[in-house]
Amino acid sequence: MFRVSRVKRAMSLAAIATVFAAGCGSTAVTPSPSPTPVLTAPATGASQVAAASPTLNPAASCGHYTGPAATISYAIWGDTTELANQQKIVDAFMSMNPTIKVNVTVADWDTYWDKLQTSLAGGNAPDVFLMDGPLYPDYQTRNQLLDLTPLITRDGFDTSQLANLGVQDFTASDGHLYGLPRDLSTIALFYNKKMFDAAGISYPDATWNWDKLAQVAGQLTKQVNGQTQWGFYTETTDMENYWSELVWQAGGDIVGADKKTLLIDSDKAAQGIQFLQDLIYKDKVMAQPTPGGTGDLFENGQAAMEADGSWLVPSHIAAGIDFGVAPLPSGPAGQATSVNPSGVVVYKGTKSPDAAWEFVKCYTGPQMQQMVANLKASMPVNKDVLANVYAKSFDGAQTFADALAYAHLKPSFRGYNEFTTALQDELDSNVFNDNSKTAKAALDEVAPQLTKLLGQ
Amino acid sequence: MSIFSLARTGSVLRRARGGASASALERTGRHRGPRDGEWRWALLFLAPTLIGLAVLSAGPIIATLGLSLTSWDMLEPPTFVGIDNYTNLLGDARFLTALRNTFFYTAVSVPLGLILALGLAMAVNQRIRGISWIRTMYFLPLVTSSTAIAIVWLWMYSPTGLFNNLGSVFGMSPQRWIANPTLALPSIIVMSTWQGLPANVIIFLAGLQGIPSEYYDAVSVDGAGRFARFRYVTVPLLTPSIFFTGILALIGAFQVFDQIYVMANPGKPGGATITLVYFIYETGFRNFHMGLASAASWILFLIVAVFTIIYFRTQNRWVHYQ
Repeated sequence: MFRVSRVKRAMSLAAIATVFAAGCGSTAVTPSPSPTPVLTAPATGASQVAAASPTLNPAASCGHYTGPAATISYAIWGDTTELANQQKIVDAFMSMNPTIKVNVTVADWDTYWDKLQTSLAGGNAPDVFLMDGPLYPDYQTRNQLLDLTPLITRDGFDTSQLANLGVQDFTASDGHLYGLPRDLSTIALFYNKKMFDAAGISYPDATWNWDKLAQVAGQLTKQVNGQTQWGFYTETTDMENYWSELVWQAGGDIVGADKKTLLIDSDKAAQGIQFLQDLIYKDKVMAQPTPGGTGDLFENGQAAMEADGSWLVPSHIAAGIDFGVAPLPSGPAGQATSVNPSGVVVYKGTKSPDAAWEFVKCYTGPQMQQMVANLKASMPVNKDVLANVYAKSFDGAQTFADALAYAHLKPSFRGYNEFTTALQDELDSNVFNDNSKTAKAALDEVAPQLTKLLGQ
Repeated sequence: MSIFSLARTGSVLRRARGGASASALERTGRHRGPRDGEWRWALLFLAPTLIGLAVLSAGPIIATLGLSLTSWDMLEPPTFVGIDNYTNLLGDARFLTALRNTFFYTAVSVPLGLILALGLAMAVNQRIRGISWIRTMYFLPLVTSSTAIAIVWLWMYSPTGLFNNLGSVFGMSPQRWIANPTLALPSIIVMSTWQGLPANVIIFLAGLQGIPSEYYDAVSVDGAGRFARFRYVTVPLLTPSIFFTGILALIGAFQVFDQIYVMANPGKPGGATITLVYFIYETGFRNFHMGLASAASWILFLIVAVFTIIYFRTQNRWVHYQ
């Protein structure tokens, strides 16, 4: 089924066949014909990675599997491009672990969750499947996922080699890991260099704040050849694209650390969301959002700036936009952005826990993470690969990588989907798609319902 | 002689029902069902469907009745909660919105769809050159995927899409067809009515072609004009087709999902367009409340059942089978 704006991570590794083909040629992992498969050294920047993280225990790294031969299934969301990308990563895994065969299946975002729930209910779920950070607690707390902590301990696997926020997101309330992060997405400010050059305005940088953004976006909003060039574009239909960042930058939050206290109804949170509404209706520097989407106006060359996620890089490159990436402009309470990890989890009822764990472990290891980095569609969760491969892979990659230092995790709790649907519905109807209410009025309206949902 | 008495006489009229079943009926004379011994064959041929229904539909349907009395997230064992789900639904604002939208959708789309289909069927029931091409054209929406249709319509409804461009020619200010919560559902109704037309047109067209021209000749001799011919020949003889398409449209409208799912989901106009089946899907598969979703399914079933029974009860008053 079709679904435009859930794209995000659905598209995160996807929609980029051409880029993959172009960008990956130099650094692809080549299955070796030798009995002990080894990795060919990547051409750029990553040779130090292979040498990095030396470990005493061979079991902690990939390619030393001694468990029973097994065939495991690995389910992902995405499209056929994403399937092809994942197949290459899986092929690399299988060449390192010849006794494990992995079958990859793909489904679009909506179908993926339908299938997952019914297959879990039927006791027939995939051995390993992809997990969205915010939805992880829904499955973890329902006792569907294998506790990986004993296996991590057994193999001496060092989770500190993975981005801290990613590990934190998959750490359950009992302190155990029921999955490992696979990759990350952060949000920053894309800008169209040509449009800035044409207007003689200097590029956005870390000194920018909200006022500066609104001011420059105003200067860049004009008629060009009979068409409107907008100063700014973002997606309003999910908190991750921009509005949760604005809430944090204003000093507010969405829910408390206990995941039971509603915080989005504060004046500060409203101030953040109000800034976005004002960009649309007061400053008029951003096109009014419309359900079904206007298409990515930045990517179509109709907007000068876009606050959005690292997953858009391959399609922005493919569209031929000459872009740079700056940190998000900071707000009254300082700088903040959002990070959302996707993880790989193991089904509790798997018949091959060892092989499944081997796959999860390898996925976060340097070899396979390098392949993730080469796709440019998301940020590798492995710290070394992130710093040494991804951050150098395109102009602006360093900005996305650095954003982890001030990033907040996208909210993640049991019942997230129901909560965010209610909240987003109210904002879409009355604040973004229409300005029938101020941010504060809309949040006050929906707050009792949200409080009730958190209490469930 | 009134057209109605005329209509009640001739066995030719059975042909008005159109197609092979009418001629089969004539062969079997007064017998309305299979003869003795034919039941066995009928059952044999029906077996695949009957078994499928029993295993794949009847079982789950009965199961949802039980589940509607539980709290169940599909992953942990269900707990019995009595009729709580039903009482909770009646106080659930989102469910009530879905209920209201579903009634609105049905009340508008069913009559609109039938009237347009009848008009269109009469328009293409002409002997003019290239008519089969025109008919094929009207048939196309039926064989096009809902998703593809929705994408095209999303574009036509977009701020810079076809409808606003057309409107601007006539000095109309641009509308936000899908984004505006007031316009969203009507806009979706227009799309799905267009999409549903061909199926109804085909049935009406078959019905129209089954009306013997003698009747038109007869009323013409009596001095009937165009409207009278339509009112006293076409409509009465088409009532079986209208009845049939009406019941399908009614049930289909109560169960509308595809169009809502595709049009409303990407950047949904905030719950303004959710319908009952969408609510059931979202509640069960997105929000882990399968018990609540089961209860909502049963409420929908009861609504459809009540309307279907009422509809069938009115049959004798306006449907002319002979």
